[in-house]
Amino acid sequence: MNNLKKQVLIFQLNGEPMGILADPAESLLTILREKLGLYGTKAGCGKGECGACTVLLDDRAVNSCLVPAGKVQGRKVETIENLSQGGKVHPIQEEFVEKGAVQCGFCSPGMVMSAHALLKENPQPNPEQVRVAISGNLCRCSGYKQIEEAILSAAEKM
Amino acid sequence: MSYLIASNLDEVISSLRDGSGKARVVAGATDLYLQDLPYGLVDLSALPETTVIEEKDGFVKLGAAVTHTAAASSPLVLSRARALAEGCETIGSLQIRNIGTIGGNVVNAAPAADAAVALIGLGAEAVIIDIEGNRRQESVENLYWAYNRSVVDSTREVMLSLQFKPCLGGEGSAFTRFAARRALALPMVNASARVKLENGLVKEARLVAAPVNPAPTRLLKTEELIIGRSINEETISMVEKAAAEEVEVRDSLLRCSARYRLHLVGVLVSRALKTAADRALDPGKAGE
Amino acid sequence: MILKTPEKNTHQYGKVEGTGYQSPEVWSKVTGKAVYGIDLAMPGMLHGKILRSPHPHARIKKVDTTAAKALPGVRAVLTGAELENRPFGIAVEDELPLAVDSVRYIGDEVAAVAAVDLRTAERAIKAIKVEYEELPAVYDPSEALQVGAPQLHDNFPGNVAWQREMERGSSDAVFAGADLVVEENFTIPAINATYLEPIACVAVDDPYTGITLHTALQSPDAVRNIVAKALNYPLSKVNINGPVMGGGFGGRVYGNLKVYILSALLAINSGSPVKIQLTREEEFTAGRPMIAAAIKMKMAVKSDGTILGREADIITDNGAYSGQAPWVSKTLSERNDSVYRIPSIKTRVRLAYTNKIPTGQYRAYGNQAANFAAESLIDMAAKKLGLDPLEMRLKNCVREGDITVHGLKIGKCGLSECLQAAAREIGWDHKKTGRGYGLSVAIHANGSLVFDKKFRGASALARLELDGRVTLFSGEQDYGQGTHAAFAQIAARALDVNPSQVTVESKETKTAPFSTGALAMRQTTVGGKAIQLAAEDLREKIFKAAAELAGEPVTMGNGVLYSITGQNLELAEIAYHYHNTTSGLSLTGEGKFVPEESDYDESGYGNISVAYSYAAHAVEVEVDKTTGALTINRLVAAHDSGRIVNHLTSRGQVYGGVAQGIGMSCFEGYLFDEGRVANASLVDYKIPTALDLPEIKPLFIEVEDPAGPYGSKGLGEIVMVPVLGAVANAAADAAGVWITDLPLTAEKIYQAMAGWECEI
Repeated sequence: MNNLKKQVLIFQLNGEPMGILADPAESLLTILREKLGLYGTKAGCGKGECGACTVLLDDRAVNSCLVPAGKVQGRKVETIENLSQGGKVHPIQEEFVEKGAVQCGFCSPGMVMSAHALLKENPQPNPEQVRVAISGNLCRCSGYKQIEEAILSAAEKM
Repeated sequence: MSYLIASNLDEVISSLRDGSGKARVVAGATDLYLQDLPYGLVDLSALPETTVIEEKDGFVKLGAAVTHTAAASSPLVLSRARALAEGCETIGSLQIRNIGTIGGNVVNAAPAADAAVALIGLGAEAVIIDIEGNRRQESVENLYWAYNRSVVDSTREVMLSLQFKPCLGGEGSAFTRFAARRALALPMVNASARVKLENGLVKEARLVAAPVNPAPTRLLKTEELIIGRSINEETISMVEKAAAEEVEVRDSLLRCSARYRLHLVGVLVSRALKTAADRALDPGKAGE
Repeated sequence: MILKTPEKNTHQYGKVEGTGYQSPEVWSKVTGKAVYGIDLAMPGMLHGKILRSPHPHARIKKVDTTAAKALPGVRAVLTGAELENRPFGIAVEDELPLAVDSVRYIGDEVAAVAAVDLRTAERAIKAIKVEYEELPAVYDPSEALQVGAPQLHDNFPGNVAWQREMERGSSDAVFAGADLVVEENFTIPAINATYLEPIACVAVDDPYTGITLHTALQSPDAVRNIVAKALNYPLSKVNINGPVMGGGFGGRVYGNLKVYILSALLAINSGSPVKIQLTREEEFTAGRPMIAAAIKMKMAVKSDGTILGREADIITDNGAYSGQAPWVSKTLSERNDSVYRIPSIKTRVRLAYTNKIPTGQYRAYGNQAANFAAESLIDMAAKKLGLDPLEMRLKNCVREGDITVHGLKIGKCGLSECLQAAAREIGWDHKKTGRGYGLSVAIHANGSLVFDKKFRGASALARLELDGRVTLFSGEQDYGQGTHAAFAQIAARALDVNPSQVTVESKETKTAPFSTGALAMRQTTVGGKAIQLAAEDLREKIFKAAAELAGEPVTMGNGVLYSITGQNLELAEIAYHYHNTTSGLSLTGEGKFVPEESDYDESGYGNISVAYSYAAHAVEVEVDKTTGALTINRLVAAHDSGRIVNHLTSRGQVYGGVAQGIGMSCFEGYLFDEGRVANASLVDYKIPTALDLPEIKPLFIEVEDPAGPYGSKGLGEIVMVPVLGAVANAAADAAGVWITDLPLTAEKIYQAMAGWECEI
C-alpha cells in the first residue's frame, strides 16, 4: 500500500483503452462526468436510489455513483455515449423516440443503458422481465409504459 | 487513499497488515458513500475463491464476493437453497444486485439484510481469516455486534466464504419479505425458513425474522413448538401467533407501527414456513 | 399541377409519423447529448453551498464567518446581516435571501459560500459558527392557529398566512332539508414533485451588462421578475437562460427562489460565475413540496342521489414560508365544487404557518387532494342510499351550458361520455368477485386568472427563415410534456408545412415573448392558440409577399406556394424576396390571444378560465386480507381534452400523470419527526417504480372546443386528479372500510379491516 492520494486507473471505456490518474475513492460517476467530460450519464441522487447514472461494468448494469473508481481497474465500462457513434443511433434509442418513451429525458440515458444490459443478456425478454430490468431506474414523467413498449419493440427489431 | 484489487489472499492479508488498522476489506463496495473513508481499501472481489459457487464436502459454498445477481440465478442455489435465491433477488435494484455481494450483506450488519436473513435461515457459517493467518468458522447469526456493526473487523479480518448444508430430500427453504414498494425498498419485515420433514412431520426447523432486533433473529421457541407436527392450517396459525409473541419490535415512523410489524412477523414467518414445507414435500418445487 | 413532396426530415435522427411527431430535442436526450442544469460549467466557475438551520425555530444570536473566509479557495461568504434586507415572495412577500434574526424551519438558509470547488465550499460551510437561541416551535397547522401558539412571522398574527370564507347559496337551509348528510375528515400529506434532476443554477454576473441565470424553469419570466426585485436590478438586466429541464411537474414553476437569488448574490460578490446545485436530500428538506391539507367535508343529498350542497372546513399547512400556498389552497378549496351541479357551497380554508419546510406547488395544484375527499364522499353517500356510484355521478355531473356554483362557464364538455366510457372499459356492469371498483371525475382549468387578473393570455411570433423553415418564438417551456411538438404541429397545420420544418425557440427571457409559464394547464389552450394566430398571421404575410413576387394571386400546399398560372414558389424564395426588398427584415407573424371571456369578482365568483378539461377514471383493485396490501390491477383514464394534437405525447401524459396519482394514493407523502423531514431520500420517499403500476388504459373523448387551437385543450395536470378518488373508492369497495388519510398504505387498510384503533 502506498500513501498516494491518486492512482493510475487503466480500464476499457467505450471500446477504447483509457488510463487516468484519479482518486480511486471517487465514484465512477464523478470520474466519467467531471474528469472525462462524459456528461451523458446523469446524477440524480448519488446513493444508488434512482438509476440515472446507470452504466455497464463488464456488460452488467451498475449505478456508477456507487462504484469506487478503483474498482474499474482492468475492467470494461460502457456509457450512453457508446451507443450513438458516427451519426448512428442504437435501435433501443430509436424505439425510445418512436414510442414516445422520452419526456424530460433525465432518466433516459440510464434507462437506455439498463435496457442495453438486459438485451445483451436476454435478447427476447417478456414484459415482466423488462419491468424488473428497469425497476432500479426511477422515472417521474412516463409511468414507464412507453419505455417498456420501446424496449420490447427494440428487442424485436434487433 | 489507495484502492487495491487484490489478486490473491496473501496480498489481502499483507495489505491489511501494512494498513495497520487504517485499511479495510471491501467486496461490492456499494455502501462506501455512507462511511468516512479509511486510508486504504482492499477489494477482494477478484479473488477466485471469493466468487465461487459450488457444492463440496457436503456443503454449498459461496465466496463472500458472490454478487446477489449471481446467487439469485445460480442453478445450485436455486435447487439447494431457494431461500437465498429469493433473498438475493429482491435486494435494492438490479444495479445494486449486480455489484453488491452476499458477504457484504452480512458484514454490513444491517438489521434486515435480505441475503443475511436467508443465510441465517439456512444455517450458514462464515469462513473468516485474520491477519495473523488464523482461520475460523462462525455462524452467521453470531456475527452481529450491534446495530449496523459486525463482529467481523474488516481492518484485520476477511470473510472469505459462506457455507451451509444443502436442502436435500425432505428439506426445503423459503424467504419472504413485505415492503411498501416492489423495488428499491427496505422491507417492513422479512423472514426465512428452513424445514426438514420426516413422514410428513417436522424433524428440524429454522425460522428467522427481521428487523426485530439489531440482528436477524432466530425464533427458537416457535421452532421448538413445531417439531413433530405436520404443516397444516392449525400449525400455520399457531406459528403466526407464536412468532409474533416471541419478538419485540418498535414503532418506526418510516416503516410501520410495532403492532402491525408484529402482525407481519406472524404472517411472513408462517408463509415462509409453508412454502419451505411445500418444497420439502415436493423437491420438484424447490427450483420454482 | 405538381406539388413537391414536403421535406421529410431536416434532423439526421428525426422522424415524422402523423400525430406522433416528436421534437428533435428527444434525440439529444436519448443519446445523452442534451445539456441539463446539472451539466453546466462556465470558465472560472465557483461552487456555491448553503448553510442551513439545524433548528426548527430559533433566534440567530451570532454568525461568525472568520474561519470560513480564511480558508484558501473561498471567494465569497454571505450572511443575512450583511445583505440588504429585501423581502421577496410569490403570493406573499415573507422571505429574505438569508435569515437575519430568526430561522423558522430545519433547512432555513443562514449563510452562503462560494469557493473554487465543492469540497472547499462544504468545508467553509462547516467552518461558519452560528449561535442560536432555540424558540418554541409548532408543527401541527391546527395547533398553529390556536391562541398562544408560537408565532412565526410578526406581520402574520395568529400564524394565518391566508384565509378565505365563502358561501354561495344558503347552506344551512339546504342541509336542514336534506335526506342524507355525509360527513368525514380527510388528511393529505405534503407531496414532493420529485423531478429527477435536482435544481441547479449557474449565475453569471457582468457589472456592465447584467446578470444571467442559467437554470431551467417552468415560469422563467415570473422568476426573473422576483429575482430582479430581490437584487434591486432593472428588469432588463436580469436574464434567465434555460438549459434542458429534468422534470418539473409544478415544482419548477418557481423552482427554488433561494437558490437563484443566492447564486446571483454570490456571483455579484465574488465576481465569478457561481453554481449552486441542490443535493437530493436538500430537495426533500429545503425544496418546495405541495401543502398538506386536512379537509373536513360534508355533503347534503336527496334520496335520489341529487347533490344539494357541500360544506368544507379546510386547514392547509404552509410551512415556514408561503410560496404559492395561498393559490394552491384556493384551488384545493373550490375547483372540485365545479365538477358537479352543486347549488350551494360553504367553505372555510385557513393556511397556517408552521415550523416546517416551506411549500410550493405540484401538478394539479391541490385539485387532486380535494378529489380524494370529495369523491370519497360521493361513494359514501351512494353506499348509504343504495345507489350506483356511476349513476349518482352521471346524475350530478356538469354539462355543456351549465354555470357552476363558482361561476365557471361549462363550454364543450364530454364529462358524461368520459364516465360512461371509463365504466364500460373497466367492466362496471360485470364486476369480478373479490375485486374492488372505484370511479372519480374531475374538472381542471386551462389557464387560470388566479396569477394575474390583468394578464390572461399569451403571445407568440412566427418567423419565416431564409431557408424556408419557420421559427416560433414563445415563452412557453417544454420539459418533456410535448408542448413544443404540439406547437410545431399547430403552426404546421396553419402554414401547411411539415412539423419538422418548424422550430420552437423559448430559451431566454430576454428574447422570448413573455409567458405566465408552464402552469395551470394553460400551454396548449392559451399558448397554443397564440401559436395558431401567429402562424395564421404569418401565412397571410407570406401570401401577400408571394403574390407580390409572382405578380398574381397564390395558394399554398405542402409548404409550396403556387400561382394560378402554375408558378411554384418555395418558402425560401419568398423569404429572400422579402429580405431583399426590406433590407433585411423577416416575414414575421404575430399572435396574441387575449381571452375576453374570463373574469372573476371580489368573492372569486366568475369564469376564471377560457376552457376546462374533464376526466373520469375507473379503477379495479384487490386487497390482501391478511396484510392489507392494495394492488391496483387496472386503471382506465377517460379524458376530454378536446381534439388530441399528438396521440403519442398525450398517452405519455396520461401514463405519467396516472403514475403520479398512484404514487400519491399509495406511497407518497412527507413524514415529519418534530419538524425534521424523516423520509428525505428516494428510498424513503417512495415514488412508483416500473413494478408498482397497473395496466393503464387512456381513452380520449375528443369533443372539440373552439376555445383552444383547432379544438384542443390541456391534459397534463388533470390526468392525476381523478386517480386519487378512484383508487380510494376502489380500495374501500374491496376492503369494506374507508381510509381517509393518504397514502393508502397496507398498514392503514389492515388496521381498519382488523378494527384496530388507529395508532398513527
